[in-house]
Amino acid sequence: MMLAFDSSLFIQRMVDGLGEGSIYAMLALSIVVVFRATGQLNFAQGEIGLFGAFIVSTLTLSDVPIALAILIAMVVGAVLAATIERVVIRPIEHRNPGAVVVASIGLFLGINQLHSMIWGPNARSLPSVFPNDADDFFRLFGAPVRWERFGIFLVLLVLLALLWVLFNKTKIGLAMRAVANNQESAGLAGIRVGGILMIGWGLAAAISVLAASLLAPQGGLSASLMFGPFLIASAAATLGGLDSPIGAVVGGLALGLIKAIIIGYVGFLGGDMVFTVSLMIILVVLLWRPGGLFGTVTVERV
Amino acid sequence: MAMQPRIITRGSVLHRVGQLVLFGAFALFFVRAGLEGDRTGLGLLTDAIILATAVTGLNLITGYTGQISIGHSAFFGIGAYTTAILVDRGWAHGWTFPIAAIVAFVIGCIVGLPALRLKGVYLALVTLGLAVAFPAILNYEKLADLTGGPLGIKNLTYLPPDWTPFDGRADLHLWLFWLSLGIFLLVSLIASNLLRSRVGRAMIAIRDNETAAAVMGVDRAAVKTVVFGLSAAMAGVAGSLFAIKLTLVEPAIAFFTIIGAITILVAMVVGGSASTWGPLVGALFYTYVNDWARTQGEERSIDGLAGVIFGVILILLARFAPFGVVGLLRKFRARFVRVVPKPPVALAGDLPSASAPAEANPSHASTT
Amino acid sequence: MSTEALLTATGLTAGYGQVQVLQNIDFHVGRGEIVVILGANGAGKTTTMRALSGMIGRRGSVMFDGTEMVNAKPDAILRAGISQVPQGRGTFTDLSVEDNLMTGAYSRKGDVSEDLERWFDAFPRLRERRTQRAGGLSGGEQQMLAIARAMMSRPTLLLCDEPSLGLAPLITQELFRILAQASRDTGMSLLIVEQNANLALALADRAYVLETGTIVAQGTGAELLADDTIKRAYLGVG
Repeated sequence: MMLAFDSSLFIQRMVDGLGEGSIYAMLALSIVVVFRATGQLNFAQGEIGLFGAFIVSTLTLSDVPIALAILIAMVVGAVLAATIERVVIRPIEHRNPGAVVVASIGLFLGINQLHSMIWGPNARSLPSVFPNDADDFFRLFGAPVRWERFGIFLVLLVLLALLWVLFNKTKIGLAMRAVANNQESAGLAGIRVGGILMIGWGLAAAISVLAASLLAPQGGLSASLMFGPFLIASAAATLGGLDSPIGAVVGGLALGLIKAIIIGYVGFLGGDMVFTVSLMIILVVLLWRPGGLFGTVTVERV
Repeated sequence: MAMQPRIITRGSVLHRVGQLVLFGAFALFFVRAGLEGDRTGLGLLTDAIILATAVTGLNLITGYTGQISIGHSAFFGIGAYTTAILVDRGWAHGWTFPIAAIVAFVIGCIVGLPALRLKGVYLALVTLGLAVAFPAILNYEKLADLTGGPLGIKNLTYLPPDWTPFDGRADLHLWLFWLSLGIFLLVSLIASNLLRSRVGRAMIAIRDNETAAAVMGVDRAAVKTVVFGLSAAMAGVAGSLFAIKLTLVEPAIAFFTIIGAITILVAMVVGGSASTWGPLVGALFYTYVNDWARTQGEERSIDGLAGVIFGVILILLARFAPFGVVGLLRKFRARFVRVVPKPPVALAGDLPSASAPAEANPSHASTT
Repeated sequence: MSTEALLTATGLTAGYGQVQVLQNIDFHVGRGEIVVILGANGAGKTTTMRALSGMIGRRGSVMFDGTEMVNAKPDAILRAGISQVPQGRGTFTDLSVEDNLMTGAYSRKGDVSEDLERWFDAFPRLRERRTQRAGGLSGGEQQMLAIARAMMSRPTLLLCDEPSLGLAPLITQELFRILAQASRDTGMSLLIVEQNANLALALADRAYVLETGTIVAQGTGAELLADDTIKRAYLGVG
């Protein structure tokens, strides 16, 4: 028996997937920004974003407009992360990479539990930046598309445009690319490598805060909000290639769409298996291209 | 100025005596604990030994062979579930251990296959996928007949067999302690013998310079797959112990999720990766410091305090003991004693020294 | 000896961690002068360069243009006018040729397009490849890029770490000609460390010979070229 294909539902699901994928894409971007500069996965990336989202929540409770609150929290998150880079990560960076992993797991655990300590164990709600009443949608090929979901995708596009300008049209962006590519030469060119690393961590944190603040209205603001998305985002970054910002965005959007398709059309797998299936797809891609879709394959480091 | 450190040749009488004293101190500590039999204290120590068994496995593949795994919670869980499923079907507890090891070994070999092509963070991600997939698979309704689904499997109590000096349910904690310790020692023995074999040298060669290892004729595929399997088997046996100590398995148990994988990894690095004493020291450190942090949080009834304290301790450790607790102790020891390798001697009649497997050997470390 | 020293290193000691590579060496470079330091592999040539650029810990005294620089950070040293062409060219492989050059001008304020044109004129092949990834350039082109990049900061002293490494003699000759030209045009001083001494000594006003971290000989280029021991050790003749 053939089921009629409901194109309107399909479009809705794709937009939902795009909205969710945009959040993964943002988180993946922040993972890539840190990875390019330091060669390390920062396990605390999602938690730093979550910390910012809690700040947003506190600010909105004192009647700060949500958009302004997010901007303030992004700045706070950036300063926090830059400090972490300087105080926690840099002193160990050129030593045992295992130690850096332990430090970043320590950060993950510490910041995660700090949320409970400061804001209590109960989940909070966070208002959405976008209009999200029942009638806040527009029609795309006849399918109702909710601004709440589509707006996140628009934010991603704006963010990408800003990042493109930062990386390609400003001196700091040039310095960041130079440091990511060759720290020694960057130092010889008079770039303060340490300062650029701090800026990189700060930028990554600001993006994470944005992602967490956009996710929280749907997911509910609690200490466990970012754990799953962080795993998916690191998978997305790996899929795209850990040193490629474009790869991070493509990977994030792809995983969002894959999730929407699995939940919508491959229901027998069940929600728990979504991530597993995504990872299998990634495994296949990686076996085909060990450096990810857009990443540079590093020739054996000797 | 500083006192000149005393130089001791590796394998000399003095070095052996030093090792024996260290080994003896550990043995005394464990025997005392096992005889005193305080139920809560012994339970925590048993937890640490079970963790140390899993860490010994991870240390083989990650510490010595350089292949990062964030998926050992799955092997741990596979061992636990193998034991649980078999016991549930009427098997004798003891016989489930080798089966758990074999099942974990086979799955470990399969998971090790991508390692032939992927490196570093990319391999870490694949193993991470395993860690995330495992609880989802346990919950998968079509497998519920086998795994018990979300409810898991219960009633796995392993009462001391008749041939042991332990008296039934009253001595259960003692029995579990000695059983865990025995299996840990067995696993450590296997690991240290492996490391002193050709395979051990091949593992370290792969970690330090894979290209050079290949040029030297090391069969990287075989070494990586088999070591991955062995490593998984050790984690699997640890899981079996975990299951019978807890007397139940269910998907919600944190140790079967990525939390478990991270715990094993952190305990390994905290102890000192690629060191003989690292797994035990790391597991003890992890278990007791974590327990201490938890007590602090509970006493002050502040939500999250325990996690914050433990997080800060990990950060400080990474900063001041980048090579783990063992690395720190070595550095401290180096102020008084320097162990140097035995100078090469003539081949004549020196062969018996090669047969001393029982001796704990704190070498092999790339750390200083 | 030159009349006025631009750079004077006295008792310079440097190394990595516990290992001291340079031991108490003295040398100087005059204004507009071209000085060569000869040395075999492991003599401490690159260490000397890295010490002067502030990339590694060092002790002693480094007077540059009347200022003590021994404790200065790399960015301050660059701004003071010392620029380095690192060994192995140090190309930003993922950046375009133009961005590589712009990175070289990072320490300067204002418009640098004039310098960009000046160096594209000197190395037309770089202009052709302006927007290409620098990692795709040939070895010779990358060396040109490294020199042009270092020159973008308008140094008064240019440090060159084995510019001839891996290059065909003809290309090396061309590079040395351009460097000498730049020195004449702007009054810039040059300090070149080399292993392969033929071309370098022909170019040099003065030269030092570095062996295992100490200076063992010095003189004009011509004097050293005539010295038999030097000839045997560094010129592959005799």
